[in-house]
Amino acid sequence: MKRRAGYAAAVLLAAAATYAGARLYMMGTPPAGDAGIRVPAGFASAPAAADLSADAAFAASIKIPERLPRFTLNDLDGKPTPIAAWRGQSLIINFWATWCAPCRREIPLLETVARQWRQHNFTVIGVAVDHRDAVAQFAGRFKVHYPLLCGDQDALNVAAALGVATPAFPFTVFTDRRGQIVALYLGELHAAEINLILAVVQQVNDDRLPLTAGRHAIARGLNRLKAGGNRT
Amino acid sequence: MNCRQLLRRYGGLMLIAACALAGPAQARPWWLRGAATNDHDFLPPDAAFRVAAHVEGRQLRIRWIIADGYYLYRKKIAIKAASPDLTVFPAVLPPGKTLSDPYFGPQAVYFQHVEATAAYSRGDFGAHPLQIKVTYQGCAAAGLCYPPITKVIFPDDPGASTDAVVPAPEPWHPWEFVAIGGGGLAFLAAGLARRRRRRLPMPPL
Repeated sequence: MKRRAGYAAAVLLAAAATYAGARLYMMGTPPAGDAGIRVPAGFASAPAAADLSADAAFAASIKIPERLPRFTLNDLDGKPTPIAAWRGQSLIINFWATWCAPCRREIPLLETVARQWRQHNFTVIGVAVDHRDAVAQFAGRFKVHYPLLCGDQDALNVAAALGVATPAFPFTVFTDRRGQIVALYLGELHAAEINLILAVVQQVNDDRLPLTAGRHAIARGLNRLKAGGNRT
Repeated sequence: MNCRQLLRRYGGLMLIAACALAGPAQARPWWLRGAATNDHDFLPPDAAFRVAAHVEGRQLRIRWIIADGYYLYRKKIAIKAASPDLTVFPAVLPPGKTLSDPYFGPQAVYFQHVEATAAYSRGDFGAHPLQIKVTYQGCAAAGLCYPPITKVIFPDDPGASTDAVVPAPEPWHPWEFVAIGGGGLAFLAAGLARRRRRRLPMPPL
């Protein structure tokens, strides 16, 4: 019997050692991203080698907080508007810029979502990291009806507080009605993705799904959509 | 209940727990993660767009290597002098491919790679290392755009961009210490039990 206990301890130690080894290995060699780098003939390879560590940096640099941080940004009239003005609502906070083509492409979808999900206590808020005049001109031309906030460094600080220290646009934060962050989606949203996320957030809001299970359901659903290529 | 009975009863469970903790070495299990995110879908800007430059006679050649699925905007590329008494003349860029943008109209972009050439003159007789400031901006075709990136680079010394940042490795999670420490303690306990068994007097024959 004691021998059996010894075997169990050895297996435990082996598992722990494997894990420690894998961790140490991962610390030394970060995982490569999905996109490959094709180096044409004649091009210097030195920067490619120097930047290998950067592949993991984007994912590693994103540290999403559990709750939506408190922040205040100016609206298009220059009036400081705290995010707490929408307390009690599920928020879809979309970070964008007028110079960003995918940001502009997803705005009609966000308009539709704002209209369709308003009755379920969801609110879309656009946070433009841009000049106010450019945003106002754009909002007038493209008839953006949901609330828009904007800023420069202050908006970037909000992005950093949300965990996106290396800015890239668009990205969208989804909160439940209690202000807990359920998902952060990096890149252009499509109908299938946003509908999936909102359906889960609604279940979290209705206490039909715990927060962690909701996050897991979204991660699984997004992976499934990505694998199937069904995004529209 | 002694240690042996404990191990017999819960050993399997402990094994499963250890394996569950040992498995996700690459990614933290979902119940330890925060909000759902697709942050692995995209490359960081310095991995998506890699820039290097070198001198050929009186010309600078600045090259960008662009990851598959990413592109750079032609009109967002700018090259300026950064070292004293250096003049960089307007760069010559290939025409690129055209992407139609409903807001800004047709946009020339580069996929895979692009090389700009720019003539230069210097009045410092080589007193300072040659430095240029390059600005560029690009996006991922899957729908993500990076703000303009500005770097000071040393032509002929492509690895020496001044703002290269090597990220710190992710700190260990307390659960990982628990898993490894638990494994070590179990091993120690097993070793002690073995030694104790060896010390026991032999039963009389």
